[in-house]
Amino acid sequence: MFSVLAAAAQSNAFETIKDTFGLHGAYFAAQVINFFLVVFILKKFAFGPIQEILGQRRTRILEGEEKLKRIEKQLADSEATTAAAIAKANEEAIRLIAEAKEGAAAFAEQKSQEAIAHAQQILVKAEAAGNADRERISTELKREFGRLVAATTSQVTGKVLTADDQQRINEEALSKVGN
Amino acid sequence: MRFLATALSVWFLCLASALGAAGGDHVLPLDAQPLHNLLPITNSTVMVWIAVGLIVLFCRAATGKMTLVPVGFQNFAEWAVESLYNFLENLMGPHLTKRTFWFFGTIFFFILVTNYLGLIPGVGTVGWYLKDAAGNSAGFLPILRGGNADINMTAAMGFTFALLWIYWAVTENGVGGLAHHIFAPKGNFSGIMRAMMIPIFLFVGVLEVISIAIRPVALSFRLFGNIYGGEQTLEKLMTLVPEWLAFLPALPFYFMELLVGFVQALVFTLLCAIFLKLICDHGDEHH
Repeated sequence: MFSVLAAAAQSNAFETIKDTFGLHGAYFAAQVINFFLVVFILKKFAFGPIQEILGQRRTRILEGEEKLKRIEKQLADSEATTAAAIAKANEEAIRLIAEAKEGAAAFAEQKSQEAIAHAQQILVKAEAAGNADRERISTELKREFGRLVAATTSQVTGKVLTADDQQRINEEALSKVGN
Repeated sequence: MRFLATALSVWFLCLASALGAAGGDHVLPLDAQPLHNLLPITNSTVMVWIAVGLIVLFCRAATGKMTLVPVGFQNFAEWAVESLYNFLENLMGPHLTKRTFWFFGTIFFFILVTNYLGLIPGVGTVGWYLKDAAGNSAGFLPILRGGNADINMTAAMGFTFALLWIYWAVTENGVGGLAHHIFAPKGNFSGIMRAMMIPIFLFVGVLEVISIAIRPVALSFRLFGNIYGGEQTLEKLMTLVPEWLAFLPALPFYFMELLVGFVQALVFTLLCAIFLKLICDHGDEHH
């Protein structure tokens, strides 16, 4: 290497280096062509398609991010709407329950009053029926008693009693029995 | 397990390379040798073609049937391309990266593939010994030679970048903007101070132009030197011990060469990207 440098210093440096390292115009041009061949191949078959697909993927990711944001916003809106609907339904339910309680209480009171009234009516009717039965039985008993007294009197006295006698004896016996 | 597999692979690489190198004391020449008298085809050009072929196969496998949910090769290719793109984007910004990724991506992957292909056993070691008319040894001609162990290849990339750099610099800044970027005084000077700074920055601009002119040469020789030096190191290490043990000294250096192959691809790409960023940077005037 030092000999190369020494020779370069003494003579035409470029020629020395060119000869020593084999720098040759035609070979240089051939390697330039080779290099541009590689450039063409890599650009056309590697960098181009790969960068295109990377771009597509980047676009899809960005679109996905946008969609995700939209979905998140829609979800938040939906959750807010649902919460509002639930709150409203809750209020409505509370109101309905209160109304139902009030209605049920009024209905129960009404039915209770009706039942009381109905029971009182039944009692009055039962009392009236009892009184009527007692009156009827009393009348029948009195009539039977009079008949028995008249029959007994007729048998004891051996006298055929007239209708007036029977009437009188009955009345007397009944007056003594009382009510 | 993965480490074991890697270690075994490298071990077999060394062994096979040692077997290739064995059988004679040869030195990898500094220059690529022509394989055809008329066409400009060298043993290095053939390696570049092999690299191109592999890149084509990989691209077809990776992008032949692309799906939105990546699998297999597509997954790996997307990871590699996207990682490099994001790395450059952080360095140069979205605008420049979008505009120039085709070049930087090519530079990185091409250098990487070519460097690793140069480590395959037989590359640079399998060939034949040349003899002159008198029957004396006239050197060794390897059938294949690492693509970046040829100054023509690295210079092709370096000077291509230089031309593209000028094109991008002019289109981004304009001719006046480019000249202003190189020669105009930087900083907030006014009055007599500004007048005094003008010749200084003119001189700095001239140095900058020289630096710009040297860049492709430096890029070319840095890559060439590292790759050629690596190959030479591996070959020389194999000659230090008996032939049956030739693989052993080179073994640790194979790991290093794997690293160097990646680092050099990254360095070349990174330097090019930084050079472009510096000239197209409108926000920061400091160099």
